[in-house]
Amino acid sequence: MPKVTFINPDESRVELDVPVGQSLMRAATAAGIDGIVGDCGGGLTCATCHVLVQEEFLPDTPPVTPNEDQMLDFTAMGRHPTSRLSCQLVMTEALDGLVVRIADPQL
Amino acid sequence: MSAEPRPVEDGKGGLPPVLDVDPFTEEVLADPYPFHEHLRELAPVVELARYGIYAVGRHDEVQTVMSDHERFMAAAGTGLYDLRKPGAWRSRSPLLECDPPDHTRMRMALTRIISPVVVRKWRADFETEAQRVVDRIIDMREIDAVRDVAEAFVLTVFPASLGVDIPHENAVAIGDMNFNAIGPNNDIFQRSLRKVEPILEWYQQSFQRESMIEGGFGQRIYEAEDAGELPVDSAPGLVRSFIRGGMDTTIAGIGFALNQLARNPAQWAKLHDDPALVKSAFEEAIRHESPSQTQFRTVVRNTVLGGMQLVADRKVAIFMGAANRDKRKWERPEEFDISRRTTGVHLAFGWGAHQCIGQMIARMEAEVILSALARRVRRIELSGTPTYRLINTLRTLECLPLRVEPV
Ligand code: HEM
Repeated sequence: MPKVTFINPDESRVELDVPVGQSLMRAATAAGIDGIVGDCGGGLTCATCHVLVQEEFLPDTPPVTPNEDQMLDFTAMGRHPTSRLSCQLVMTEALDGLVVRIADPQL
Repeated sequence: MSAEPRPVEDGKGGLPPVLDVDPFTEEVLADPYPFHEHLRELAPVVELARYGIYAVGRHDEVQTVMSDHERFMAAAGTGLYDLRKPGAWRSRSPLLECDPPDHTRMRMALTRIISPVVVRKWRADFETEAQRVVDRIIDMREIDAVRDVAEAFVLTVFPASLGVDIPHENAVAIGDMNFNAIGPNNDIFQRSLRKVEPILEWYQQSFQRESMIEGGFGQRIYEAEDAGELPVDSAPGLVRSFIRGGMDTTIAGIGFALNQLARNPAQWAKLHDDPALVKSAFEEAIRHESPSQTQFRTVVRNTVLGGMQLVADRKVAIFMGAANRDKRKWERPEEFDISRRTTGVHLAFGWGAHQCIGQMIARMEAEVILSALARRVRRIELSGTPTYRLINTLRTLECLPLRVEPV
């Protein structure tokens, strides 16, 4: 199963096995990673699952939809060039080894 | 709108079995859970013979019907009656009663107006009001938590954010009428309609441009229409949608949280020690008893759902309150347990493109008032039997008698 590493705000790292087809938000909340809130369950309404994607993986991530694009402007930390909402990052084989940093603050 | 793929079924299915119960009677509304159980366990989709419509009550099917707009449209109305047919007597919600792509542009413009960034700025004002509400009930000791907490708080902070003036007693009558109107034109609806007749003129006026109070987000909706970001003439209907959707639901959720916490002193004690837990308590409260119980969609074309054959143009009743107690999804669903992972999984805010646009406002209201209480109140206990308002599509308490013991 592909692996994803989440870097917490305190620099600690958590590695998760994420099945292909599952979003990073779901994987993180199911594993109890507190920094990913995911209040709206992937509905693009809360902007509380913000992550920064390690640059070399960006080309393999799915394109940003207009809805996600707008919500990224409303994150608590503010938007960075590598910002994504992790509910929109659905796992693929190509993303195996992905590293993301959890936004701080998230709320 | 979730990025995860959803299954689409095709081919031939069986006929949905008939369920010969009217869900919109006072008897069922007073205690909907036996009906929900019947609905869920009979089949993935049933036919409600009395209304000639389909109904779903399991988590998976409810999620699909709410979100798969290519097969289940909102444009023919999210109530029981088909808005395309002559004699439609309910006015359309410009936001809810349309589908992508029309819906998408409007939703994005409104999301900018009440974005999480905007909503976070209201928190300090909400906290000030919560303090006043809590100061008052601490003096009273014996309270009706619906009137003295949920309504006192929500009916102050929400109209102030929207920038409309809504007297408390009018809000309750209007709420009854609006949530009855989503269901059938029965006696329950007719009674609520008679009650609002004297204030209907005031109500129609309350969401017009001239009634918007400076600085509220209602005014921003009118400005967005002027700027061409929203369709011409949509602003009055949009402000009305926020009045309809924003108050009774949140009041209901706060009432349910307090009702369950009063019955579970150990869980209240946990909140008192760690008020951050109020967030999950609120989510669990609206999973356990869902304020918005029933919404509707219309079958776009002949299709198969859960192995059942559905015919185009028929309405589907979506019982979210039933889905949130589906044992296929939840362990011990009838138990209130704040340690569950409920957020983002339950369907109390709907699912898909129309998933509640006000959910972050509702969450912040609940979090602010419940944490203000949890900090200053050591114990809450029932001092009488709670009663419910019986409304076709909304579940909410009428009265919640509580005794509060301050620290
Ligand atoms: C606990 C409180 C609340 C509950 C349980 C709730 C429930 C829901 C549900 C189930 C839907 C989807 C309806 C459907 O798909 O047919 C919805 C949509 C909506 N809600 Fe809420 N709601 C709540 C609070 C609010 C608040 C505070 C507001 C106002 C800011 C609001 C405004 C709306 C609007 C305008 C829609 C239509 C969204 C669209 O069509 O894109 N709601 N709500």
